[in-house]
Amino acid sequence: MNVFEEAEEIMENALVSSLSVVTPSGEVLTNPMLPLYSRERKKLYMTSSILFSKKINYIKQNPRVGVLFSGRPFIKTPRYSALHVKGDAKIYEENLHSGWEWLVDLWRAKEPYIEAFIKQRVALPLFWERAVIEIEPRELLLWPGGDFSREPLRWRA
Amino acid sequence: MSIAAEIEKYSDVVVSYLDRDGYPISFSTTMRYSEGKLIIEKPPYLNPPKKITVLLNHITPLPTGGYTDRRYLMMKGEALTEGNTIIFKPFKQYGWDEKTKPFFQYCEERVPQAKSYVTRLSKALGRQVKPRLPTLQLLFRATRFPFLTATAAPVLIGVGTAAYLGYFDPLLFILTLVGASLIHLALNMTNDYYDTKLGADPANITPTPFSGGSRILHYGLMTPKQLLSLIVLFYGVGIAIGLYLAFLRGLIPILAVMTTGVLISIFYTAPPLKLAYRGLGELAVGIGFGPIIVLGSHYVQTQFFSLEALVASIPIGILIMLILYVNEIPDAPYDKAAGKLTLVTRLSRENVLKGYKLSLAATYAVIVAAVALRLAPPTTLIALATIPKAISTVRNVAQTYGNPYLMIPALASNINVATLTGLLHAAGFFLWALISFTINL
Repeated sequence: MNVFEEAEEIMENALVSSLSVVTPSGEVLTNPMLPLYSRERKKLYMTSSILFSKKINYIKQNPRVGVLFSGRPFIKTPRYSALHVKGDAKIYEENLHSGWEWLVDLWRAKEPYIEAFIKQRVALPLFWERAVIEIEPRELLLWPGGDFSREPLRWRA
Repeated sequence: MSIAAEIEKYSDVVVSYLDRDGYPISFSTTMRYSEGKLIIEKPPYLNPPKKITVLLNHITPLPTGGYTDRRYLMMKGEALTEGNTIIFKPFKQYGWDEKTKPFFQYCEERVPQAKSYVTRLSKALGRQVKPRLPTLQLLFRATRFPFLTATAAPVLIGVGTAAYLGYFDPLLFILTLVGASLIHLALNMTNDYYDTKLGADPANITPTPFSGGSRILHYGLMTPKQLLSLIVLFYGVGIAIGLYLAFLRGLIPILAVMTTGVLISIFYTAPPLKLAYRGLGELAVGIGFGPIIVLGSHYVQTQFFSLEALVASIPIGILIMLILYVNEIPDAPYDKAAGKLTLVTRLSRENVLKGYKLSLAATYAVIVAAVALRLAPPTTLIALATIPKAISTVRNVAQTYGNPYLMIPALASNINVATLTGLLHAAGFFLWALISFTINL
């Protein structure tokens, strides 16, 4: 399995990831995010509620992002590797109400109860107004076995 | 909790910084606290700059899929690299732990962020962007529709007392119920309009399904103008039905009752009276949902006021007042901060509970006394069936007092006691009327 294929498997099966964005002052901010990977599009997706929208504004100003997949319990693959994705992000926010709903199929695989939560959107209406973050990987850094003491394997677009 | 123990709570430590290519880079590592310093291990081939961020993250995956036990801590700070270790000095940190801050509260605290985002996006797109709900769900939420049981019970008691005295017209009953319900829904929306405008609802960051208002305006789901239009529509149709009944059944008495009810409902929160803000809201609600609705509904049927109806209006007035009273408990700190000095904000916890118990006792005492004084039929004693539920509700309210989310079952139980007692009380009158009617056949 090459770096890209293994990265795809990790992105597809990780329950959580750490999304890092750059602020206008050059600081890096990191947020735990649910990663949704589309094999078909070869892109990584995340959704962000407008309640937690600071990162959206930062990405719009600087689309360069990093996403780390680490932690054995969070990555449901037979073989554990840690992965860092450097990529360019694009924000889709024209339809906050339902523009993210096409991702529910991918979301369900990570959170089987998601549809039950969505059905109750009347209780938390702002939480379900969401922008989509689309990340196109530019560089992948893979640490087999999650061993960060060694140089990572790399893949570049 | 010590810093070392705090770090142990998280299963992943992620260090991030800006790489030379302009992309953020992160690595997973371990962090320990030793001799007053946070020490992080770093890979030998990575050389973080002075400014780094450290994310402590944790979730517990569930065997059935998904996860729980979410918490994170984000720290911004300076890194001093010594060999393969970093001494980290955080200067800013924030985070969330769902065990200490419920998800709903976490979301509520971020409402201003959502609003400023939507404002910026509207400007950027050149059109108004608004959070949305399907129309029916929006109306359901805006009107706080489930609270209509608080109108149905007193209307049924008013009509029940009329039936007990031998009067019953189903069409008039339906018209009364629809009219009173529309005015109640208009009251709920008026309350939200002014509580948002006066700051009580936005100040509340722990709303529950029973307290903290509908939040339609606060969330930007409707504009104030849209809500005002709905208020005018609901009051308009409700008053029109009232006027029709007044012309049909007795102009002055029905107009007097309806005008008093409508004025109470408006000035419950509307300036200049703002009754709820002056510790008079509870009394206003007790009068409005007690004597006003019961006597009005009774008069529409009988064309006279009766002592039986007046006495029957007292328990339901108290019970509906108690819905408000108990629902005010989780709101109390925010109400106080916003200058909405409800009765609960003015009393100590002990006195609030004492008032609750006494009011409930008075409710049941009046039901029994009315029967003893032959102002109500013995069948109305069926309403006493809720006493055990009322006792357990008092206990639950006392146990969860002041914790908004833990109080939710107690708030629901209190509403159930009020409505069920009211409906059983009404049923007692109808049952006696039915028995009398059958015997007289």
